Amino acid sequence: MKRFLLPFLLIGIAGPAQAQQPAATVIAVPPLTSPDGGNRGNEMLAVGWDATQLIVSDLRQTAELMPLQPNRDDYYSYPEVTAPTFSKWRSKGAKALVTGFVQSRSDGRLTVGCYVYDVEKGRELARKGFVIAPTDWRRAAHKCSGLAYTAITGAAGIFDTRIAYVAETGVGDARTKRVAVMDSDGTNHRYVTAGDAMALTPRLAPNATQLAYVSYAGGKPNVRIVDLGSKQERPLIPTDAISFAPRYSPDGSRIVFSMMQGANSDIYVVSANGGLPRRLTTSPGVDTDPSFSPDGSRIVFESDRGGSQQLYVMNADGAAQRRISFTGGWYASPEWSPDGDWIVFTQRSTAGRRIGIVKPDGSGERMLTNGPGDESPSWAPSSREILFQRADIAGRSGLYRVALDGSEPRPLTLPQGGSDPDWSGVMD
Amino acid sequence: MRKIVLALALTASATATQAQIRFPTIIPLSRGPQQPVMQGIDAMRAEFAAQSGGTTVYFGSESVILGAPARTVLAAQAAWLRRHPEIVVRIEGYGDTGDTRDHALAMGARRAEEARSYLLLLGVPAAQVSTTSWGKERPGLGRSVTVLVR
Repeated sequence: MKRFLLPFLLIGIAGPAQAQQPAATVIAVPPLTSPDGGNRGNEMLAVGWDATQLIVSDLRQTAELMPLQPNRDDYYSYPEVTAPTFSKWRSKGAKALVTGFVQSRSDGRLTVGCYVYDVEKGRELARKGFVIAPTDWRRAAHKCSGLAYTAITGAAGIFDTRIAYVAETGVGDARTKRVAVMDSDGTNHRYVTAGDAMALTPRLAPNATQLAYVSYAGGKPNVRIVDLGSKQERPLIPTDAISFAPRYSPDGSRIVFSMMQGANSDIYVVSANGGLPRRLTTSPGVDTDPSFSPDGSRIVFESDRGGSQQLYVMNADGAAQRRISFTGGWYASPEWSPDGDWIVFTQRSTAGRRIGIVKPDGSGERMLTNGPGDESPSWAPSSREILFQRADIAGRSGLYRVALDGSEPRPLTLPQGGSDPDWSGVMD
Repeated sequence: MRKIVLALALTASATATQAQIRFPTIIPLSRGPQQPVMQGIDAMRAEFAAQSGGTTVYFGSESVILGAPARTVLAAQAAWLRRHPEIVVRIEGYGDTGDTRDHALAMGARRAEEARSYLLLLGVPAAQVSTTSWGKERPGLGRSVTVLVR
């Protein structure tokens, strides 16, 4: 599945410069240049300009970086990629700079180089190069955006990532719910399931090559695995029992999920390739929505064993189960943040459903949204934003993203309604 | 085998009350060859509904406990099902629409299982009753009639 991205020059990435200032860092992204000449050179410059605009668009979406408007007149020569004129960018107020090039190769592919600089100190922060098919220029641009974002903020970028969700059309009994996948910037949108059977809760593998979801194809809900390349599908485990709420381990090797046995819902873990599931919880009632910690050693889940839905943490083998939510209301659908610091959850109360975060030890709880129809939160790979589902008064559901700073949630533009979002990690 | 799925109309009694949650719908799934061919879907549906006092039973909020009214309906359904061993039914459980997706799904499954256990307790053969859960995915179902001939 690694069809692209052989980092060919990965030389001494400097440690991340801390973004200690509350204001956004102004970053200049002049058009990528090319060492090629003639018509070929013009083609490469055209690709470079497209990539430059996409990088600027990526970085503009972040809270931490503020890109200057790119200008085609800011041309620089190939040698200047590694020796930029810092004084020029200083005078424009930029604190950081991205340079790079697009070069044609004899095998028909392209080399894209990307460099990030601290303008004030006049030193390089990071560099990376990618060999790509000409049609994959968007991914190279996203990778360059991620390089800049990570070099300056220290957080993982969200640009070369995917979002899976349930696309909803129609109302009532005519409603169709099917799995869709798109790049995190909304491009490359496609449907994964046909829509003849209802689909719920798609969960991407960490490298976004496959996903687990719940299908009603057999009349009752069952976890199925679908390969996003071949579109081939299989049941997670060969059973007639109701299974749901799947989630991959951070290394992609295991899947935790819920399964009914009689009137009891418990949490199980199984190899992502199938095999015999191992039961992790045994309490009567509903144990569901498990999510691994980023190191794979612990699992957060919800349980109503105490009379109401609350959050619990256990070791990955099911040992040491303990409740972490105590402040009132009902807590559901937890997901552990990729950096390990937080757990996002849905809180139910008489006021409706809202999204909040809490530390894994149960401290530091705060609400991020006001509801009343919010649920299904999923972390951005940066651990700085959360994607969730919000229903309007008419019951129509859409996807929103909210930053941890508590700013107003922003809607995602989708071809139709959406629910159950899941955000992948950065792709290889 | 020719399967007939009947979602039987709810004879909306006092069940529309406040915090009660609609659940579950008993759906005759198939009928065997010994069933008189002349007995149509409508007749069977009417008979089932009339003789069991309804096709839907209700639970309290966040509850999987069968109340007295629910047990009365299920007992009548069980009696009818024992008289019609050729009928296969599916119990479809529902969760609260205000619930989160997966918990609602689990609650629907638990309620369906509780109802099935009660039918089995009253002598209905296990093979005659299957269960599924729609969680909060079909908030409108139960007050309408759906006839599917597969």
